[in-house]
Amino acid sequence: MKQSISIPLGSQHIALLEPVRFRFETHNETIVGVEADVGYVHRGVERACTSRFEFKQIPAVVARVCGLCAITHSLSYTLAVEQLVSTEVSRRAQYLRTLMVELDRLHSHLLCLAHTAENAGYEALFMQIMGDRELIMELQERITGNRVQFDFVCIGGVHRDVDAACAKAILDGLATFEPKLEALEELFETNWTLSLKYKGIGAISKEDAAIFNALGPLARAAGLRTDVRAEQSVLPYQEVGFEMVVEEGGDIYARNRVRLREMRQSMAMVRNILEGLPEGELQAKVKGKPEGESIMRLEAPRGELFYYLRGNKTATLERMRIKTPTFSGIPAMVKIFKGQEYGDVPAILASFDPCMSCTAK
Amino acid sequence: MFKSYRKKSPWILHYNAGSCNGCDIEILACLGPKYDIERFGILNSGNPKQSDILLVTGPVTYRSRERLVELYAQMAEPKVVVAVGACTCTGGVFRGMCNVEGGVDRYLPVDVYVPGCAASPEQIIDGVIQGLAALEAKTKAIEEPKRLFGGLHETLFFTSRRHMRQRLPHAED
Repeated sequence: MKQSISIPLGSQHIALLEPVRFRFETHNETIVGVEADVGYVHRGVERACTSRFEFKQIPAVVARVCGLCAITHSLSYTLAVEQLVSTEVSRRAQYLRTLMVELDRLHSHLLCLAHTAENAGYEALFMQIMGDRELIMELQERITGNRVQFDFVCIGGVHRDVDAACAKAILDGLATFEPKLEALEELFETNWTLSLKYKGIGAISKEDAAIFNALGPLARAAGLRTDVRAEQSVLPYQEVGFEMVVEEGGDIYARNRVRLREMRQSMAMVRNILEGLPEGELQAKVKGKPEGESIMRLEAPRGELFYYLRGNKTATLERMRIKTPTFSGIPAMVKIFKGQEYGDVPAILASFDPCMSCTAK
Repeated sequence: MFKSYRKKSPWILHYNAGSCNGCDIEILACLGPKYDIERFGILNSGNPKQSDILLVTGPVTYRSRERLVELYAQMAEPKVVVAVGACTCTGGVFRGMCNVEGGVDRYLPVDVYVPGCAASPEQIIDGVIQGLAALEAKTKAIEEPKRLFGGLHETLFFTSRRHMRQRLPHAED
């Protein structure tokens, strides 16, 4: 006789950083059904941006949608609004923006790897990765003045400059970080405990990833070639040497590999940016009020981030829409969970790197 | 006996009541090797029934307020609430948004406010250490009526083995 047990996970759980509730239907520890509830952190940011705040204040507001990919949020908004008020941004400001996005990707991926290791029961590796992550956090603090939630981007440019001493500090920091990244890569590939735990668990096929519209490392680990950095040209990614990272397999192991290889890519890009940093103004003057519609897509650490704006020549926007990577990834997550053991749920959940603050806004 | 343990090793319960994750990753950084709050004996526990300090982040949203009050009610006395981050203290940038209640002190009695967006790990550690002082004061306040009526002395007397041995011949009288 079949008997299924329903197990709730959340909204408060030791393995979760954010409130999200899952309800798993299990047969003998195998998951057969999943319900996800992601709305616990809904704050009404979109509505406030179209009623309470002026368009010049919004970069600081949308940065608070998410603490991990704050720079990508404020940058997407800024690029979209710059199309509406037709502001020309200097190449130096564009390069500095790209620099900060890539540094942010580094620390976000490191946090995800640490969290995956912790939830799989490898506490020592969590400590090691969090220690390595502090190197990147120090660089961010050096450049922008804050560890997280740095309001670096403004409409028309950036707030702070990177001088020669700061550039040297970044290069030194990356040089210290590189051997640690190599050690991590080796650990994630060859460590018997880790590969045994992660291989073949939480797998999704390429076809399913395409059907369920997975984005970011989740899709690239399954072999889908999807990356906004290769498609758009508002940030100088082609000039700083971007290459797409694609893995096969679609399991936790492949996702970790994608993140590790992307970190290596980001480091190379940061070095290229600092080598060829062009001269120019930091901020351009903003004239006029936003009028018309614009759409902007950027690659956040978790996948494609989408902004839609509509202005009617007043200081307040008429409509704003944010679509975040985790929101599109939820059907793929539900698909992956089915057929897995219940004991693997925390590790699989951490390897998605879900961001509920982004999703619920 | 519990009093001395609690002071040396307070366990924290962390709940995100609608924050942007900025303060949450700083709490995670506190658990990491650079800031390492475990050297104070502070452990992150997922169970409200075992925890002494409740770390709340985020402006309380409409849906999470019920969970927050439930978690607080499940914690055993004495307990301390530390509000981490600007939006937890006052609502911050989210104050007055359509789904936000504006600060955790509308629902829970807050002992320590930690400002900052996001609150830096040093500030969080300071806040937790200040919370320890509040915890000690609360412990004393709970014990006060028992001490007045001699209850505490009796309890301590009976739970200690050495005292029980002394007490036994006396009990025969």
